[in-house]
Amino acid sequence: MMKLKKLFTLLFFVLSTLTYAQSVSGIINDDQGLPLPGATVVNATTSNGVVSDFDGKFSIEASSNDVLTISFIGYNAEEITISNPNDILTVQLATNLLDEVVVTSLGISRQKKSLGYAISVLDGENVNTVKDNNLANSLSGKVAGLQISQSGSLGSASRITIRGNNSINGNSQALIVVDGMPINASLPINSEGNQVNSGSNDSGGQPSFEPSIAGGGIADINPDDVESISVLKGPSAAALYGSRAGNGVILITTKKGSRSNRIGVTVKSNLYVDNPMFLPDFQNQYGQGSFGAAYSDRTNDWGQFSWGGALDGSQNPYYNGTNKAYSAESNNVENFFRSAIRSITSVSIDKGSDAGSVRFSYTNNSSESIIENSDLNSHNFNLRAVTNLSDKLTVDAKATYFTQDVKNRASTTGAQGLLTHLYNIPRNVNINDLRTYQVENPASPDEFAVIRYADGFVGNPFWMAYNDETRVRRNRFLGFTKINYAFTDWLSAFVRIGADITSVRDNKIYKPGHHNRRLGELEIGESSFGELNSEFLVTAKRDITNKLNLVANVGGNLSKRTSEGFLVRGTDFKVPTKFFLNNIRTINSTEESPLAIKKVNSLYGSINLAYDNFLYLDVSTRNDWSSTLSEDNRSYMYNSASLSTLLNQFIDPSQKLFNLIKVRASVAQVGNDTDPYQINQTFSVPGNGYLGLTTLVSPIVKLNADLKSEIVTSSEFGLELSMLNNRLTLDVSVYDMTTEDLIFDIPVPAATGFQFSRENIGKVSNKGLEIALGASLIKMNDFSWDTSLFYSKNENTVEELSDGLDSFVYNNSTDNNIAVKATKGGSIGDIYGKVFTGEVDANGFPIGSAAPTELLGNAQPDWLGGWSNTIRYKDLSMSFSIDARIGGQVYSQTSADLDRNGVSERSLKYRETGITVEGINTGTGAQNSVGITGQEYWTAMSNISENYIYDQDNIRLRELSIGYSIPNTDKLGIQSASIQLVGRNLFFFSKSAEDIDPESMLGTSLGVQGMSHMAMPTLRSLGLNLTLNF
Amino acid sequence: MKNIILIFTGLLLVFSISCTDDFNEINEQPDALSVSDVSAKFFVTTLQQKLYRDNVFELWYGRILHSDMFSGHISGGHSAYAWAGDFGWNYWNALTDNGSWGPYANYNSTLTSYMNLVGDGGTLENEQYYALGLVMKSLYYHAFTDQFGAIPFSQASDPNVELPIYDDQIDIYKGIIADLDQAILIIGSNETTGVGVELLGNNDVIFNGNMQNWKKLANSLKLRIALRAHGSPGEDFAARVAEESITSGVLADTDALLAGYAEETNIWGGSTSYGDVWHTWPTARWKMGEPLINILKGDNDPRLAIIANPSEGGTVSINLTPRDGESVALVDKHIAFLKSTLDDAGLVLDTDYTWTEANDELTITMQESTHYVGLPSRMNGKLQRYFNTSLFSDPAENLTQKVNDGKPVLPSIVMLAGDTHFMIAEAILKGLVTGDAASYYQSGLRKAMQHWETITGVSLDESNMTALTGTVDEKLEKVATQRWIANYTNSIEAWSIVRDTGYPSSAVITSSDDEIISYAGELNGAYPNRLRYGTGVYNSNADNVGSAVGRQGPDVMSTRLWFAKE
Repeated sequence: MMKLKKLFTLLFFVLSTLTYAQSVSGIINDDQGLPLPGATVVNATTSNGVVSDFDGKFSIEASSNDVLTISFIGYNAEEITISNPNDILTVQLATNLLDEVVVTSLGISRQKKSLGYAISVLDGENVNTVKDNNLANSLSGKVAGLQISQSGSLGSASRITIRGNNSINGNSQALIVVDGMPINASLPINSEGNQVNSGSNDSGGQPSFEPSIAGGGIADINPDDVESISVLKGPSAAALYGSRAGNGVILITTKKGSRSNRIGVTVKSNLYVDNPMFLPDFQNQYGQGSFGAAYSDRTNDWGQFSWGGALDGSQNPYYNGTNKAYSAESNNVENFFRSAIRSITSVSIDKGSDAGSVRFSYTNNSSESIIENSDLNSHNFNLRAVTNLSDKLTVDAKATYFTQDVKNRASTTGAQGLLTHLYNIPRNVNINDLRTYQVENPASPDEFAVIRYADGFVGNPFWMAYNDETRVRRNRFLGFTKINYAFTDWLSAFVRIGADITSVRDNKIYKPGHHNRRLGELEIGESSFGELNSEFLVTAKRDITNKLNLVANVGGNLSKRTSEGFLVRGTDFKVPTKFFLNNIRTINSTEESPLAIKKVNSLYGSINLAYDNFLYLDVSTRNDWSSTLSEDNRSYMYNSASLSTLLNQFIDPSQKLFNLIKVRASVAQVGNDTDPYQINQTFSVPGNGYLGLTTLVSPIVKLNADLKSEIVTSSEFGLELSMLNNRLTLDVSVYDMTTEDLIFDIPVPAATGFQFSRENIGKVSNKGLEIALGASLIKMNDFSWDTSLFYSKNENTVEELSDGLDSFVYNNSTDNNIAVKATKGGSIGDIYGKVFTGEVDANGFPIGSAAPTELLGNAQPDWLGGWSNTIRYKDLSMSFSIDARIGGQVYSQTSADLDRNGVSERSLKYRETGITVEGINTGTGAQNSVGITGQEYWTAMSNISENYIYDQDNIRLRELSIGYSIPNTDKLGIQSASIQLVGRNLFFFSKSAEDIDPESMLGTSLGVQGMSHMAMPTLRSLGLNLTLNF
Repeated sequence: MKNIILIFTGLLLVFSISCTDDFNEINEQPDALSVSDVSAKFFVTTLQQKLYRDNVFELWYGRILHSDMFSGHISGGHSAYAWAGDFGWNYWNALTDNGSWGPYANYNSTLTSYMNLVGDGGTLENEQYYALGLVMKSLYYHAFTDQFGAIPFSQASDPNVELPIYDDQIDIYKGIIADLDQAILIIGSNETTGVGVELLGNNDVIFNGNMQNWKKLANSLKLRIALRAHGSPGEDFAARVAEESITSGVLADTDALLAGYAEETNIWGGSTSYGDVWHTWPTARWKMGEPLINILKGDNDPRLAIIANPSEGGTVSINLTPRDGESVALVDKHIAFLKSTLDDAGLVLDTDYTWTEANDELTITMQESTHYVGLPSRMNGKLQRYFNTSLFSDPAENLTQKVNDGKPVLPSIVMLAGDTHFMIAEAILKGLVTGDAASYYQSGLRKAMQHWETITGVSLDESNMTALTGTVDEKLEKVATQRWIANYTNSIEAWSIVRDTGYPSSAVITSSDDEIISYAGELNGAYPNRLRYGTGVYNSNADNVGSAVGRQGPDVMSTRLWFAKE
């Protein structure tokens, strides 16, 4: 606390350099005469500055003969000399879209028109108006080629891919870069080298029964600090970032103090209420029981099925030993969830001048889950200071401290998660009766039994909510210092050192009595990650001739990434009322991951040539030395080149129709290395041994000392048009990316002594098309409507695997009815499952294929679309975005479970009548004539996975906000104030999948895309934003 | 200005000398051992434990739900059980893939990596360790082929073959015999594996490093294979192999056991005992099987009270209201089956239990903790509600003992001395060798009893067991039945005995009436004669598995293996 005080004192000291003068006011319009909010007005004489308000109005202290500089991105700046301070100025800025400047690789700002590759830029407003707890989710539907898959639970990560999946087994997710520094998105690695908490591993096997998707990465970035986001798609744009950028880069630029003659204070308060957007359709006609009759014998015959008799209100035995009316509790699932309140409050203080700028912000996020006893709390402190020590030397420094405490995120989803036991609740059981969940006075610790609605592997959702405790605490520091020196007007250089340090403490308790872990379990883990980047960049800008301009960059980077951690698991509490390590009777395993270090040294350079402002050529080269590869393969180089040309001055020099016609082409390569310890063969020592003896285990993967880096090669062509006074813009890209030498574990004969061998094999390609269309539909004084549309399509093909290997299985679903594979000639994420064979057995049951071997779909969507709109009328504004995901499939194990248990609305079919399944009866060899009951039918069908493959097709109203800028707030001492009503995930225009949100997957790893199982319901958020600028 | 330039130049210099010097060092894993750190003995324990005491999947999905049930030793499907009685009988690929095919197919890499380490030119080369490995290899392939039939064998250890062929069972048997012969030759008269770091000692959790016992085990396995193969199509080696093995010396006095680990904690990745399954999943608790209980009862076998608990008994009420789709007649048929089960167990109505039907409710009262009643196998799920858990016998605590409770956990059986005596009797009866079958039968009984005596500390009396009399076939039946009992908890062997001999016939559970004994899906009433191949092989080695299926018969559970009785 003392530290905080000191910080504030310091801050105010820096900011309190105010002078007094007369005030000049005015209004800034664009070339159409519409007010321009957000334009910067700087008094060049005093170095003070202000920003125009919503109506384009500004007021600044100035004396006669002072010079005001008025500027706004995309417009030509104007300079005005004040003649009479009492005049009201009207300033018109001319559009200059062509000079739009964007942030590119290594934080280098460049004119967008000169780029030879695709880049999408989003304003901070796009991600901090309608807030999600994870910044990534706010990008959904706003950038062509970007795909976000959510895993649903509070505080968990999302999967971010740009232009499809490049690697079969390695990382396919985009690199996140904040203010030029790559940040860590690693998850804890277990002793087998797999990432835990990502929903599964990517190297085969079953997804976990209770996936608990950790947060981290981009989720730790505070949306309110975001100034803009550039999405660099594909290797061309990202070549300078090297190995990690093969999957594209999300480049986040955070806010700095803005130039102003006064201290800017912004207070934002966001209050949201979250509720499930939708739930599966349940039936309300039949109750707990089997074969059409209610269960009657509580001690011996009490299952969880809702295949009982019609709910007629008669008194029947109830799970808790009493009798209860046998009638429908239609809302028992819905009533379990609460309306969750999310409150996000942020304060920022900033000030800027010629001497530099300072911005401090604090954000508090206090979010409840819709499940009781689960919430998230985080605090984010951010300090950014830029100081111009001389006219040549600038120091830019930032420090962000983030601390987050997530309670009970885990254990909700998956086969054995809480939702399994909630959704399958018999239709006549009142959820609130389950609040009595613990038997009183258990005779012995072993008898700590939980009261449940059925026997077997059934849990009580309330018991789980209050007794399956998890607690994840993350602390993260992000910071950098950048020293920039301008040697001459053409030569400058900077050195930047940045750090990203995260520590995560993970506690998990299953209290005694758990339906599946009677004795209770405890798991305590701690892991920390560090990333240190030291880099320099020298930039030279030279006009070689009048028409030929050159910019050259030479730079280098030392990247050091570290991870370490430990994990202890134990079972059986000595005293079953308190839960800590010393109270554990049996320690099952202790896993220690000693400090692992990965270093990558890089040198790179680029040359940008511009000829006569219409022809641009970029070439870049980078060499990496990675510590994870052997000496011979450690060093690898890759290059990129792009060419773009502006044709408008030849085709339409007078700009009658076209303001910009640009064609561009680029080719690039990027390497992709691996994790530490992947080349030298070793033996691991299992924690326990057997009979107390030391035992050693041979590894199952044969490592390869000759491992090389994966290489991604891409080519891209694009066309950009801007016409009708820039009212209409079009950006089209086509690309082709191929990844070769994939680092991959191929199955090998056991005779080698291994199960897998790590090799560089295979080839994966992604081909795609991206279209972005923007239009100012209406542009009048009081009324404007801007709209943008995008479309992106990606086609992924596994071109080659190794000889003799046609497919690689990522995962089998927990019910073993689905296998997600990468198959030669197919694409990554092909979903294989079981189909009805057309035969029924002697008893009339439909027979499904024995194993999941039929191709039923693919987890990757065919195309994504989005439509964003902003409509302003005077002080009112409204924006909404609609997005579409079309094509691609998902297996809803949720639906299969609901049918098997007889709780879904679908399962009403054939209940009364039974059904004779059409097909050949294998008993008789003739057409089947043996009938089965509805229960038998759905039990059989729920194991034939083709019945539960749904198209991912959905179109939803993702975001809506209606804002009002409160006029005349000056009297209250407030510069501006606005209030917004916001909503997220409001409704679907259409959705193919039943029961589930097709964008909600089991986890963030590649292998569980295309599977959905008891995911948390997608949340509909409604909220209120209040923004005050002092 | 100069300072700045110096800083930049300095930095450039740092890059140009490009400090990759420590790259090799930091890429060396600190928490793992390299070849120079290790000794061969550390690999022996896992090699043994993984075959006989694997993780929960192998024990539960693999053994309990397959061979333990198929052999008739245990049964599920009573009222407190999570599944119907035909669970495990009705093919479900998750069980076979994860519990049987998966662990057995993967064991080959554990085995081969060991053999590569200790074999010719291996980093830890040692002949005796290699011979021990050959015996383990033979035990492994025998259990593997007896469950599935044709499997990769001759090419499975060839690193140059990516897609090994599936050998026929007869060739696998011949190959195993050759491997065992080689092991016996290498061991010769050696007692130990060597001295110093070469000394195996207690890392051998079966024989404590006693190589002569390994030789006897090799001979016992040869004998077992000879008997199993005898009379099967194309077999021409049984007599010679049986003769050789008995002459060279089988395990006559020592049981080959793998001690259970009472402190084992990691059932998923480490090892699992029956007690782990029993205590971790109360609704997966099985009952003693009807065939085993009734045979032990019929013989008045003293092992009955050692391996089973009497039924809990007391008063149970069973609702008889017909359910949707079921007629009153079916309810009557189902409870008639319940009654016949109690009667078949030797219980006398109104003496040992009462039976009252009134107001659609059946009330049964049975004396508490008195009677042993086995649960019928493979029952249709509709019977579940009638087969009240209190009416049937649980396995005894020595099997279901919870780990970490301070009490010993039952060892896993590799080969019982009792079984070798029975096998010699069988070899004599089959005319492969000469001798006094009856005396081997009797000494086998004594040895088989002794196995339980060492565990429980009580003296068992084998004298009331029937003498070996009758026709040759009746004698063979008696021997087979005793071998089947002796191999309780070693169910892959017990199931093989049933398939090979057809005895005990009560364990050959087939169905002709699905309303009582389930047809169990693809079995269509037949007895399970094998397990289906793992579903993954159709992806990875489709041609070779296809060719095996072509020779052996369809890849279904009812397909008879080469050794099975017609």
